[in-house]
Amino acid sequence: MSQTTPPREPTNMSRSATEARKQPPPESPQSIWLRRAVMASFWAVAVFIGLPIWWKTTAIYRADLPLQDMTAWANAKVCKPVFPLRIAVVDAPLPPHDAHHLLRTTQYALDDLNDFSTHHLRLTLREMPASAPANASQQVVVDGVGEPADDGTVALYVRLIPVETGPTPRSQLQPYSATLDVYYSPNQMPSPSSTSSLLATYIARELHGIYAEERAQLAYLLSRAAGSHAAESSSLSPEVAAQLQRQSARAFKYAPTYHLTFSLFTPTSTPSAWDIEAALRQYMHPILESFASITNFTIDTQVQLYASFSPSIRQPEYDADAKAWTIHKEDLSGFINAAEWPLSPSIGKGPTINFALYIPDRDQSPLFVQGSRDNTWLVPQWGGVMILNPPPDQMASATLTKEALAPAMQAFSTQLNALLGLPQTPASLPLRISTLTRVHTASLIFSASSTLGALAQVYQKMPSIPVPDSVAQSVNQSLTHLQQACDCLRDGRFQAALENARVADGEAEKAFFERSMVGQVYFPDEHKVAVYLPLLGPVAVPLVMAALKEVKSLVAALKGR
Amino acid sequence: MALDAKQKAALFAGAGALRLLLFQAFPSLPNRLAGRVELSTPVSSFKRLQEGLYLYTHNVSPYDGGVYHQAPLLLPLLSLLPSASDHPLATNLLFTVVDLLSAHALGQIADTGRAASTRLFTSSRKSIRWSSAAIVAGYLFSPFTLAACMARSTSALTNLCILTAMAKASQGASTTFLLVLSAASYLSMHPLLLFPPLLALLYDARLDRSKSAPSPLTFTVMHTFGLLVACGALLVASALLTGSWDFLEATYGVRLLLPDLTPNVGLWWYFFIEMFDSFRDFFLGVFWLHVASYTPGLTIRLRTQPLFVAATLTGIFAIFTPYPSVADAALYLSLIPLFRHLFPLMRYTFLASASVLYASFLGPAFYHLWVYAGSGNANFFYAITLVWSLGLSIIVGDSLYAALRDELDVERPELRDKEVKRI
Repeated sequence: MSQTTPPREPTNMSRSATEARKQPPPESPQSIWLRRAVMASFWAVAVFIGLPIWWKTTAIYRADLPLQDMTAWANAKVCKPVFPLRIAVVDAPLPPHDAHHLLRTTQYALDDLNDFSTHHLRLTLREMPASAPANASQQVVVDGVGEPADDGTVALYVRLIPVETGPTPRSQLQPYSATLDVYYSPNQMPSPSSTSSLLATYIARELHGIYAEERAQLAYLLSRAAGSHAAESSSLSPEVAAQLQRQSARAFKYAPTYHLTFSLFTPTSTPSAWDIEAALRQYMHPILESFASITNFTIDTQVQLYASFSPSIRQPEYDADAKAWTIHKEDLSGFINAAEWPLSPSIGKGPTINFALYIPDRDQSPLFVQGSRDNTWLVPQWGGVMILNPPPDQMASATLTKEALAPAMQAFSTQLNALLGLPQTPASLPLRISTLTRVHTASLIFSASSTLGALAQVYQKMPSIPVPDSVAQSVNQSLTHLQQACDCLRDGRFQAALENARVADGEAEKAFFERSMVGQVYFPDEHKVAVYLPLLGPVAVPLVMAALKEVKSLVAALKGR
Repeated sequence: MALDAKQKAALFAGAGALRLLLFQAFPSLPNRLAGRVELSTPVSSFKRLQEGLYLYTHNVSPYDGGVYHQAPLLLPLLSLLPSASDHPLATNLLFTVVDLLSAHALGQIADTGRAASTRLFTSSRKSIRWSSAAIVAGYLFSPFTLAACMARSTSALTNLCILTAMAKASQGASTTFLLVLSAASYLSMHPLLLFPPLLALLYDARLDRSKSAPSPLTFTVMHTFGLLVACGALLVASALLTGSWDFLEATYGVRLLLPDLTPNVGLWWYFFIEMFDSFRDFFLGVFWLHVASYTPGLTIRLRTQPLFVAATLTGIFAIFTPYPSVADAALYLSLIPLFRHLFPLMRYTFLASASVLYASFLGPAFYHLWVYAGSGNANFFYAITLVWSLGLSIIVGDSLYAALRDELDVERPELRDKEVKRI
């Protein structure tokens, strides 16, 4: 494009025709204005309509998040979870004064033993006939035996029972209620003047021992959670830590609902039925009911005939010494034929726990795992497997009876406990379940806090992601419930704390994995160039160039004047 | 050079007879064509119209179900006809008549001769022209027009309104012009962009007829007001008919926001399938502004040839609107012969006609490969729509160049037939 600016002075109009042919003729003012008007019209559309549209449609909506609160929770600055356990001494057939004294000395002994401040055992006295003003407590005393009145905050009842015979003091933990019976002989009562006594020390040590595993688990959790708690957890010995690590690797992550699948696999056509409903009702339901306060379960069952081993493992070999077929221990990991056995992953909401019962072929029976007669094993975070060799008289029957299923059900319930992370001690199931409640509460609080912290970081680090209002709502919900969970913990209402922690964690996850946000996480600003340029570039070039040219000629005209 | 009455009658009778013959001889052809994406878009499909009619006659809101996206006032009119599936003749007759009326309007435009000579500008080549009979025949027997008519797409109604609006504007008939243009805008929305050039055309026609025309400002204000009133009346009537204003979202909302990405011959569908969701709104704005930005620029630049501006805009609509069909291209291609005097100045006629032909033959084939045979993919069809749009844009660009060159020849007769260069 030759840039010979046409002379604009009217005097040049008088040039000769030959010269005019070489030089472009002057533009008429009319055509100049026409050109400017056309350009202005395109620019007007672009600037007055295009820019507002651009502004409006590409503005990123970011709801306000309580970033400080979220970070504070993530750094564990808001709530230091504490676990004050109330332990009620009941039915003490003692004069109030003695009882109080015993209590005080025991508490001293307990406090001496405890080196983990988060977990605190507090003794209270109940049912003191003389001092108790309430009728309700009177009544319990009259009843004598059975569960004392429970407001849900008492973790353990200690019953003092004077006996004359047998070694004293001795204690027994009731397996199906949260009660510790302590037998003592009356002469072991601390004398009013002493600050310690055998009985008080004994009770304190027992109580301390009962909660040992819970303390270890909580300490382990705290050590894995962020920040300030790390220092406290150094008390954990490496062996215990490793053990807890193994346990937690085995157990499922906490979920409000689990789905249990019981599957029967057999390489032949028999047995083709099993009395699973009755067996579940008898062996499984009690344990599931005791978990009801923590989590819900849904159950389905299936029978799979002609289920073959996966080709990757060695076929069972006959061991003449043991008169049994054996499979190699190394092959256990491939025992579940994941490709062909219909063990679907999670169907409904919540993870699926699989229990597979394998009935070997009659020709290969009995079938054992090499080197052991124990035919069950646990697959971490997946479920349990058992090889069941039915008694010879039942070999031919097409139906497995409830009785034949009993060993399998027992094995499965043990595995279920391990898979749900139920601690192995103490012996009392209610105590173990309440321990699980507290451990889950703590882990949910930590997980919700760290999710919120991560969300706060994402929010700050990525100014280009949109944050819808629903995220802000979820975050606020989560924070409220976290606070409530924390308060409940402080008051010793662990069940309510679990509920709140569960809601808090659910909302935090929902906020973090909000779909519209996730899509934009990996959209750096450089990509915007690639989005805008291919289309807008070619459109903009003529507009900009024409505008530049026009401005240039205006400037030239001004200078020439 | 008005059409000789006999000649005209023969032409129209022939075209009508041809249409009816095709309808009768190939009873399955209309339905087959109505299913072609090239002819039936979500906003003009006859099948969707039938669905809307069915819902309407059963007292359900026609927009329930999200299939029908056309103007509500079409429904009471078409519900007067017997059902198209049982008695197709009535519907066929209607669309034949619509085509003939469009051709009649095109003939009127040709008769006024405003394509080559207007109040402010007279082409130096205005003697080079086709008779209006030839132009009308070109419209009536164009395979694109025929196919669109057989597919019974409602674009035919829009085309009728646009052509009539142009005819009325060339004749200087204000009221009819406003009514017809508002009807076109009501049916398809984008014809509203034709208002500025056609208003200029109307103004010129008025001045030609009576020398004492009103001032341009009052003229513009009066007519803009009239157009708003006419459009408003149509919208209010629609709202009264359907009982709510929901139809706005289902008709114009669909054209503006492009929720239905059914393939068509346009450029939008593929682009918005690929678009990042977060930029979708922005690019909808960009695409629509792109269509709209041509109107003011062209009207200002070619103020002296408003009919040419309007014709070029129909070409731009056929390329750049969200749901164009072959019927839109048919309208543009039948307006081009009005500007026969520009043909000698056009440089790429071969390229343009070749690519349009190429696209019209390969388009259906590639669509078949993609959708039915499964041996191609969406890119096949999209590539063809690109070629189609390229062909049309070459015609648009080339005719614009020719119009400007023609203008220059009038301005500076000494440069005629000489090479010119843009500086």
